[in-house]
Amino acid sequence: MPAEPKQREDNKHTVSPEERRQAFKALFSYAKPHRKSFLGVFICAFLAISADLLQPFLIKYAIDEKVLFGAYGPKILIGLAAGYLLLEALSGVFSYVQANLLQRVGQSIVALLRKDLFKHITGQSMSFFDRNSMGGLVTNESSDTETINQFFTQVLFSLVRDGLSLILVIVFMFALDVRLALYCLILFPIITGIAVAFRKHLRSCYQQARSLLSRLIAFTAENLSGMSLIQSFHQEQEQEDRFTNRNTSYLKANLREVRASVLFNRSFDVLGNLAVAFVVWLGGFAVLDQQIEFGVLYAFISYIRQFFQPINQITQQWNTLQSTTVSMDRLWRIFSTQPEVKEPAPEETKTLAPAAVRGRVDFNQVRFSYVDGQEVLHGLNLHIQVGEFIGIVGTTGAGKSSLVNLLARFYDVDRGSVEIDGTDIRRLPQQDLHRIVGLVQQEPYLFSGTIVDNVRLFQEHITREEVIKACRQVGAHPMIKRLGRGYDTKLSNRGSGLSAGERQLISFARILVFRPKILILDEATANLDSQTEQLIQHALSVVAAGRTTLVIAHRLSTVQHADRIIVIDSGRIVEAGSHEELLQQDGYYAELTRHSRLQHNAPNVRVQG
Amino acid sequence: MRGKTLLLNHMKAHLLFYLAAVLSLIAANVTYAYFPKVLGDFTDHLQSGALTKSDVGYYAMLLVGIAIVYGLCFGIGQYINHRLGRIFEFRARQELFHHFTQLSESYYSRNGIGKLLSYVMNDVTGVRESIANGLNQMTNASVLIISVVVMMAASDIPVLLILVCVLPLLAIPFMVIGFGPKIRDRSRRVQEALASMTESAEEQFEGVKVTKSFAAENIARDRFGASVDHILQRQLSLVKITSMFQALLPFTGAVSMAVAIAYGGLLVTRGQLSLGLFVALTLYLRMIMNPLRLIGNVINTMQRSRASLDRLNRLLAVEPEIKEGDDTLPPSEQHLGIDIHHLTFAYPDAGEASLDDISFSVKPGETLGIVGRTGSGKTTLVKLLLRLYDAPRGTIYIGGRDIRDLSLSSLRTQIAYVPQDGFLFSTTIRDNIAFFNRDAELHEVEEASRLAELHESITGFSDQFDTKLGERGLTLSGGQRQRTSLARGLIKSAPILLLDDSVSAVDAVTETKILANLRQSRQGKTTIIIAHRISAVKHADHIIVLEDGKLSEQGTHEELLHLQGLYASLHEIQEGEGTHAG
Repeated sequence: MPAEPKQREDNKHTVSPEERRQAFKALFSYAKPHRKSFLGVFICAFLAISADLLQPFLIKYAIDEKVLFGAYGPKILIGLAAGYLLLEALSGVFSYVQANLLQRVGQSIVALLRKDLFKHITGQSMSFFDRNSMGGLVTNESSDTETINQFFTQVLFSLVRDGLSLILVIVFMFALDVRLALYCLILFPIITGIAVAFRKHLRSCYQQARSLLSRLIAFTAENLSGMSLIQSFHQEQEQEDRFTNRNTSYLKANLREVRASVLFNRSFDVLGNLAVAFVVWLGGFAVLDQQIEFGVLYAFISYIRQFFQPINQITQQWNTLQSTTVSMDRLWRIFSTQPEVKEPAPEETKTLAPAAVRGRVDFNQVRFSYVDGQEVLHGLNLHIQVGEFIGIVGTTGAGKSSLVNLLARFYDVDRGSVEIDGTDIRRLPQQDLHRIVGLVQQEPYLFSGTIVDNVRLFQEHITREEVIKACRQVGAHPMIKRLGRGYDTKLSNRGSGLSAGERQLISFARILVFRPKILILDEATANLDSQTEQLIQHALSVVAAGRTTLVIAHRLSTVQHADRIIVIDSGRIVEAGSHEELLQQDGYYAELTRHSRLQHNAPNVRVQG
Repeated sequence: MRGKTLLLNHMKAHLLFYLAAVLSLIAANVTYAYFPKVLGDFTDHLQSGALTKSDVGYYAMLLVGIAIVYGLCFGIGQYINHRLGRIFEFRARQELFHHFTQLSESYYSRNGIGKLLSYVMNDVTGVRESIANGLNQMTNASVLIISVVVMMAASDIPVLLILVCVLPLLAIPFMVIGFGPKIRDRSRRVQEALASMTESAEEQFEGVKVTKSFAAENIARDRFGASVDHILQRQLSLVKITSMFQALLPFTGAVSMAVAIAYGGLLVTRGQLSLGLFVALTLYLRMIMNPLRLIGNVINTMQRSRASLDRLNRLLAVEPEIKEGDDTLPPSEQHLGIDIHHLTFAYPDAGEASLDDISFSVKPGETLGIVGRTGSGKTTLVKLLLRLYDAPRGTIYIGGRDIRDLSLSSLRTQIAYVPQDGFLFSTTIRDNIAFFNRDAELHEVEEASRLAELHESITGFSDQFDTKLGERGLTLSGGQRQRTSLARGLIKSAPILLLDDSVSAVDAVTETKILANLRQSRQGKTTIIIAHRISAVKHADHIIVLEDGKLSEQGTHEELLHLQGLYASLHEIQEGEGTHAG
């Protein structure tokens, strides 16, 4: 079915200042639990710097003639040397502790952020995954979060440390000479001016490079998954050319960014040195005019140089800050996306203990569309009895899979309702719903891990014996025994060592282990050969007992023993009844049956779909 | 071996630029070294009281000149460095992608995509950052240290005193040798942890439907969380050693300083050293401290990226398992036969052989049907024919030539392949169908889509053949995907067509039509149809039945029915559908 993703406004929206403020607030809430550690970091940094600053005093003391040529000169000298070493050692220890503490905080924040992000993403409804590229989400998880770490360990740290020294320097300057200090304040508007002038440009450079990187990564990811196809079609060169295109535009964007940021950093540097020249000029005249003393000018010159050191340090962080804002916007965009399928409000919530569920399913006047304006189901009614075995057939695109998506609440109905045991499924917590409704998809998905873990989905409370029993029941046992390490065989890369049918067998075993009350098979037998399907059919008839089962199939053998067969066409139920009844109706189903029988004898019969 | 020289090649190719960058940085640093001197002269001049107003202007202009020259030179050096870093990144990614296209399927089955992506994202970036920033800082630090040493040597400080004071600095090379490998090792472990986290994220996001439908979100979170915590631990163990190194390096400078205070001071008390020289010595040693910190920093980053570089080099050194021969099939030949002689094959690491002593041949222009149970070795056979895996020499012949002697391009252009899963790329439908030749005319694409019974569906889309597929475009249903994949194989009109269960997700009505189209369009061309539905292979000239990797039955449809074996029983089961229906 052409399930075009809903085009949402939020796909490309830009983040408003208000949202950014909120984003920063959210970001800092991650830092809050680490307040003490941050304090420790700053104390350590402060002590390390102080120990460093004390050294000139020691040397000043040493070169004091009274000490040097005094009676205890040599002893004092050795004492001074020892004291010096001690101070340096202390400074080293504080730096060491500070670096470790800072990294611990930064990494803990990132770890938590990654986990939260993962939780948020996996908590989204399926439509979210239609809209967002897998490569993009992976980049969010790995790179964007790493940038946040840099924000805390570099940007924030530098802001506080260098900001502090900047303030100290300004205080000293004013203490020395108010007039000269005021002249120096002219620098502030200039600095701000440069920053503002570059800001927009740097930002757009960075953003562009970033989105090109995303595209490059997404392209690479897709080509890696389709590599065997590329190789079989001998398209290596063509795909490489396409990669080169993307890589080149990324390079160009990067060079643009490099130019901008080098220019930005250097202009600050030049400005700093020009300021010294300015002070020399201004102060020189002032000294000549006897307005200030020479010593003041001397100190002033050293302070103005120190004034630019922290500013330079901070502007070095500018790039990181840029990447942080961009990364944060991207993360914020994800964090602010609410799942379209929402958990019920507490007062609405109804709990159905999975064990107590009987398994009645009702689709009431269901209207549904993936894209606004393109309705897939038009007021569909379907009432399924407890334990009933329903077969659903119809041409591709008729809306069969939509029924599944709605019952599993991967999407929500536009109008009407889906009920289990008379309870609207929108009132059930999703975890509960998913324990009640089990699904086997057409393309089974395997995780990297052993066969056992893939069957029980890493739930340790399910025993190995249960897993093996389930595998025996679905007939996967002989196949698994053939594998190198039996049930402990590690599957890698989505189980690529197994054939589609073998993978499907494993996903069938999952169902037997998880025992949902309602079972959906969505074209699950398409990739199985007839004998394997027979095995599955047999196993299914065992588990289907006492369970409500919906089987979507285009192979009639899968559904012909169903209690009831539903024929869907263009989003409506057009026929319903048992296999025999439907044959007698001589409608679409009968046509399908004739085809599956006669397809090899009279291949060119035209059928009205 | 090409991998070993990834960085070296880059350096060599851009040697002149690197030289220019280093020279600019040296020029910048040397210019900047005059800054304190000019200031000193100015203050001396001012203090002596012999300064005029025009002198003040002169000094100010001199400082302006230095500021601008320094800014320019440094800017140029920095820009060249960063630019070269980006070019390295570009080249490295090109190499990686090229290498990816050469690696065989067995490599992909062992290595997840997320892990491979991590090379492209994290490792390349890491190396780029360190060569760009590292070179800048290293040049600065070296120039500073050298100029301090030169200044010390040029001064009147006794050589012996200088030597004694510099002695502790000799510990630095030993520390670098001692710490270096440990830092690299731990960095590598951090990179590996990052790679496995990326892999885990990708896997979980792709499998999110399964996770959701079994309400196993908590387990997924725990598994992902474990990979995140892994990074945390390894990062902390890395920072322990790097910060230790970074603290110890300046400490050697501090020891030098302590020696200078004690020994130098002693010389002063003995009247063997002037006070001025003593002060100068301490000032010089103090100037060394900052570059020492810088060097510690640079070595840390270098080691870290060394780990990444090693990873990249190791990856690039992986030899593609499939080695091509240089024999080619005559391109015009449209009638290629296939001969399989006693083919036995086991996947690497597999316990049992997937194919066991298979022999059969397909005459040019014939259609071969292959049926068999799940896991009987049907798909393996296809992978071997395409050389996605290598069969032993002397077992598979196409057009009379051992496929291991053929060039891959010659082999694969002669075979059109329709795989079991209809993997499509996120590009237009037209691009997907015309995959083998992206410049194919629209009418060819349309023709192929008609053969695959896809044309009607496509004309239903608003953008027709230009409809975008994939994550940001249209999602096709399983059946539509398979038919697109089929059209992609058919448009090639190759001498050999391999259909690996290619119509399994298509409904019976459509399947019938597709099979009829196939028979018509593949007349006189060699076709292999793998299926588990008898209906798909029934009309083949020859049918083989695979069972547990062995060829158990072969013959025409009628002959096989008479055998009353597996084929007949499969037929029975499937015809049974009809019997019930009747």
